[in-house]
Amino acid sequence: MSHVITTEGLTKAYGSRTVVDSLDLRVPEGRVYGFLGPNGSGKSTTMKMLLSLVRPTRGEIRVLGRPMDRRTRHELTPLIGSLIESPPGYGHLTGRENMAIVRRMLGLSERRVERAVATVRLRDQMDKPVRAYSLGMKQRLGIAMALAREPRLLILDEPTNGLDPAGIEEIRALLVSLAGEGVTVMVSSHLLDEIDRMASVLGILGQGRLIFQGTREELFDRSAPDLIVETPEPERALASGLSAVRVREGLRLAGRDGGSTAALVRHLVHHDVPVHGLRRVERSLEEVFMDLTGREGLS
Amino acid sequence: MIRTAVDLEVRKTRRMRVWALCLVMVVAVVVLAGMSLGSEATRAGFADPDARPWERLLLNHVMVAAMTSPILVAVLAGRQVDIEHQGQGWTLARTAGMGPGLLCRAKALVLGTALVSTVVAQCALLILAGTVAGIEPTPPLLLWGRYALCLTAVHLALMGLHLWLAARVDNQLVGLGVGLLGAFYAVFSLLMPSWVAYALPWGYYAAISPLRMEGGDRLIESQPDPVLFTLFLGGAAVLFLTACRRLDRAEGGPA
Repeated sequence: MSHVITTEGLTKAYGSRTVVDSLDLRVPEGRVYGFLGPNGSGKSTTMKMLLSLVRPTRGEIRVLGRPMDRRTRHELTPLIGSLIESPPGYGHLTGRENMAIVRRMLGLSERRVERAVATVRLRDQMDKPVRAYSLGMKQRLGIAMALAREPRLLILDEPTNGLDPAGIEEIRALLVSLAGEGVTVMVSSHLLDEIDRMASVLGILGQGRLIFQGTREELFDRSAPDLIVETPEPERALASGLSAVRVREGLRLAGRDGGSTAALVRHLVHHDVPVHGLRRVERSLEEVFMDLTGREGLS
Repeated sequence: MIRTAVDLEVRKTRRMRVWALCLVMVVAVVVLAGMSLGSEATRAGFADPDARPWERLLLNHVMVAAMTSPILVAVLAGRQVDIEHQGQGWTLARTAGMGPGLLCRAKALVLGTALVSTVVAQCALLILAGTVAGIEPTPPLLLWGRYALCLTAVHLALMGLHLWLAARVDNQLVGLGVGLLGAFYAVFSLLMPSWVAYALPWGYYAAISPLRMEGGDRLIESQPDPVLFTLFLGGAAVLFLTACRRLDRAEGGPA
């Protein structure tokens, strides 16, 4: 699998405060990469470094196979569409005038701009001043500005912020369809549910560090769900020295992977504890996320 | 790149009422400076070259321009930069390879054009008003022209300062406040010893006055100290360009 973005030891520090710490990102080509983390975990700073808007303190960035820095960014930025923090747009101008500015700024054709506007379904709103737009319309205009370049890579920082459920679904479908056309999409959010339904690869950031990177399945494997031991005699099990929490079915044990589960079964048999069943607790991705981020929360 | 940036700035000025603001200021200056043209005492000297009616009108222009110009410059710069803060324009331009410094230079060119037009319109309308009112001697075009050039140069120098300030400080009330204080200082400098005018940038609106009063009612020709004036303009240009370069190198937006 080729990677559109790779970073090695990417670090950003402001004085003694390290906001992004030694990131080794791998964003695969043609996929939606969900970049997750609680607010203040360093997502926006990382994305700004990827776009060369912020200088890394240490580390290397390669985008589309080339080093990304101040010298090369002029060649690379035309291939990258981005939406960082809040969506751009001059409020006193109409959507059409804003897109005309982007067109002139980037030397794009009218056709590209029209296609981008059509993609975000904003055609009917283009003659309104942007200050009269709802937040969702502003987000869509921002995405249209990013799409107008017909980029190979889209970097979107919380693009669904402030959107209603229908708007979120629309953006989600759009990003998935763009990935289907071969565009690599890196999208950040602090809302797990949004990312869960569109990203095929996840990167999870906590306090500036990459605490997980991989597929959804790998994420579940990484964070072993709690184990439920169904037994009518939980007291006997606890008396045998097990560290567990009593639940209705018997006992609940945390942090047991495959090996330690086998050892647990041997221990229960050895202490003559009747075991009627053994199963993993079903967990939502949110719980896994909370586990990994040390319960920093999602917002 | 600067051509594209200037073209973009021109597009951004749509509905910004830049020209309307300039027009209001032209009308205000012409009305305030030309108000004395209606008074009997002034009209009595319209046919007498020794009464120097044109020079008196020009001195009124200097006074009113000193009072209004710092505010106009602050308002124009603040509005043109504020749209970048409000609309995430700095980031948008950065991702297209245009730094904030380039944007500021382009804004200076576009707003500079508006200011030059404002000065030309003010001078032309005041001369027209004087002629229509009946001033008989020939207007001192050379003197007025020199003042117009100096006024334009001071406008541009202060425009650079206000653009930088507006880019660095999100709250545009700060720039407007500085402009208001500058207007007070400019008028105050007209009434004080000449060194006061050279102490702060806004004082140059007084320092460039082509006339000054001597002995109560006698008008004599004057001009700014060429060395100090050149140093001021050169320094302003160098500082503005250096500040723009620093803005281009700074991370993220300029503020």
